[in-house]
Amino acid sequence: MNNAVLNSRVASDPVSYDDSDSPQLIKLRGVVKSYNDGALTVMDHLDLDMHAHERLVIIGPSGSGKSSLLRVMMGLEGIQEGTIDFLGTQYITGTRNKPQKLDPRLQRQIGMVFQHYTLFPHLSVLGNLMLAPTKVHGWTKAQATERATQLLARLGLESKLHAYPSQLSGGQKQRVAIARALMLEPKLMLFDEVTSALDPEMVVEVQNVMLKLAEQKMAMIIVTHDMHFARHIATRVVFCANGKIVEQGPPEQIFTNPKEARTREFLEKVVIFD
Amino acid sequence: MNVNFSIVLEYWPVLLRGLGMTVAITMTCALVGSLAGFILSLARTSGNRMLSYPASLYVEFFRGTPLLIQLFWVFFCFPIVLGLSVAPIVSVCIALILYMAAITCETFRGALKSISSDQYDACTALGLSAGVRVTYVIFPQALLRAIPPLLSNVISLFKESALISSVGIADLMFVGQNLSNSTARPIEFLTAVALIYFVVAFPLTRLVGWVERRMLRRFS
Amino acid sequence: MEYQLDFAFLSGSAPDLLEGLWVTVRLAIAANAMGLTLGFALCLMAMSHWALVRWPAQMFIEFFRCTPALLQIIWFFYCLPFLFEVYIDPIPMGILALGLNLTAFNAEAYRAGVQAVPRDHLDASIALGLRPWQRTIYVVLPQALRSAMPVLMTNGISILQQSALVAIVAVGDLMYVGKDIATQNYRPLETYTLVALIYFLLSLPIARLAHVIERRQDAVVER
Ligand SMILES: Nc1ncnc2c1ncn2[C@@H]1O[C@H](COP(=O)(O)OP(=O)(O)OP(=O)(O)O)[C@@H](O)[C@H]1O
Ligand SMILES: [Mg+2]
Repeated sequence: MNNAVLNSRVASDPVSYDDSDSPQLIKLRGVVKSYNDGALTVMDHLDLDMHAHERLVIIGPSGSGKSSLLRVMMGLEGIQEGTIDFLGTQYITGTRNKPQKLDPRLQRQIGMVFQHYTLFPHLSVLGNLMLAPTKVHGWTKAQATERATQLLARLGLESKLHAYPSQLSGGQKQRVAIARALMLEPKLMLFDEVTSALDPEMVVEVQNVMLKLAEQKMAMIIVTHDMHFARHIATRVVFCANGKIVEQGPPEQIFTNPKEARTREFLEKVVIFD
Repeated sequence: MNVNFSIVLEYWPVLLRGLGMTVAITMTCALVGSLAGFILSLARTSGNRMLSYPASLYVEFFRGTPLLIQLFWVFFCFPIVLGLSVAPIVSVCIALILYMAAITCETFRGALKSISSDQYDACTALGLSAGVRVTYVIFPQALLRAIPPLLSNVISLFKESALISSVGIADLMFVGQNLSNSTARPIEFLTAVALIYFVVAFPLTRLVGWVERRMLRRFS
Repeated sequence: MEYQLDFAFLSGSAPDLLEGLWVTVRLAIAANAMGLTLGFALCLMAMSHWALVRWPAQMFIEFFRCTPALLQIIWFFYCLPFLFEVYIDPIPMGILALGLNLTAFNAEAYRAGVQAVPRDHLDASIALGLRPWQRTIYVVLPQALRSAMPVLMTNGISILQQSALVAIVAVGDLMYVGKDIATQNYRPLETYTLVALIYFLLSLPIARLAHVIERRQDAVVER
């Protein structure tokens, strides 16, 4: 595969880095997480800052704790030490390794999309989208239907409103999953290898949706193994290994001129340089 | 010896009445038993050992002993233990309900287990409360997945209910045996009774297969 | 009314109970030997390409699976001698009835095992140039047996329990002896409790083993 082909896969132009002094969205301080009673440390006193309108792409070797980082931020898993703030409010503290229940008002501002779709198979597309807004946040059915219809139309899924997940292609499922996470208008979206399980032609349709979100200045943290997409969408690339951030910076710098040997080594393995 | 099935037709209404009893008892015990089984499965899967251990012991005991002895136990021993007389029909219903609860408990437990952790993650990511999660995501899926095996449980109960004939309840089995003795025509009557059981149970097993395939399509 | 529990009288009946237990164990073992072997043969027949072989096998399976075991046993004891004008001793007759019942259920278990073998494995063995019988012996069978194992064991336990039904046609198994003792001594509570416990203790180890095997297989599949 040459790069001309790879580049043409993403429809829109690279989104430029927006350097406005927007508020601080996420702040991690000294986050420690380990599995198997400390035998395996996946986050080793991690610090990370992120402002609204930023788009972080996290790269790193398999098993370096990228998924764990997103899962911790979503409250799916607990941490041992450290704190995490969202818009200046501390919402996760490391006291135990158990997941902490997030405040619903804060929780709704973060959306997450998983690698394996995780749509609810017994609910229609509309049912999947409406569940949280109507059952948790007290929206009326009409409100939820209206927003769901709008969202699905924007993602090119208006004809699938009443379909069940099993009747959709992988790309369609993943777009529905994105729509479901967008229902409550989150301020931050987390994507964990959302195109890894997809066929190549479906990868593009999902990536295009993410680029559209980028144009609308949605803050995102994206874990991906697709370095070309990473370069396209990122405003900042974070390279993690062994539970630590080894290097971070704008995509041009990380991909063309990495400072750390460890980064260069990783990129040489996974990217074909120009 | 000559076999002549026309005699079965003469006693057709009697056999049908027996079938009516079998079906009525099966349906009653299936309904009450599955409800009990569901509650039992919640106890068995709960983290609380005070609940899960007794539930496990119950299930293992009822699955580890012959239904016939459970039936005899309830029939002959319940009145002694409780110190009051219990109508035979009530006794056999209690025995079948206890048995059905044990086998459906396992069915529901399997269905609960088959829901992947991804589904729980998605619920958390969407901020669903525990109540919403159970009511709208976990329970409907568990129930849908449990439908085919539950139907199989009902078919089992339908067949096993033949045992109640041994304590004198006039179900299909009892009526058939009586007729075969009184007319001295075992081949005709016992075969006819077998066919009646088959004609009810066989389509139900096909239905199970059909529902199962539909579920597979929905959940794949 | 205050009921005095008294298990002591049962010690006098111990020899009878042991004899009944021995009959039950023989019934269960022989029926399982039949079910495991004939069940496999029946499964092969039921999956045959020839309708003339397949149809009778499937009919056999469905008929035994869709009628009460009690009825099957009674039918064997009351109708078989008339129909074929043969006399068979009660215990072999019990084994025959229970064994054929188990054959039908095990055939289904084997079939499910064969169907659970992933299509890819067959494709791969074809691509590797294995002959049809080699595919069956080296690829399909080992996997099918493995996945059928827990169900075969569960079926084996349930035939142990179904064997109690022969008491109704007066075969002197554990259940029958128990019933006898209970009526003779007017002590159903103690007797039936003990008999139930014996059945439970017989099946518990096998049930546990089946459970362990199943769990191990689940763990393998998840990788
Ligand atoms: N629940 C868990 N229990 C024990 N170990 C776990 C658990 N979840 C993850 N791990 C381990 O933690 C490490 C980091 O996992 P994580 O999924 O975060 O890696 P990743 O960077 O996302 O890798 P990949 O690129 O393969 O997705 C891995 O070695 C993994 O085996
Ligand atoms: Mg990962």
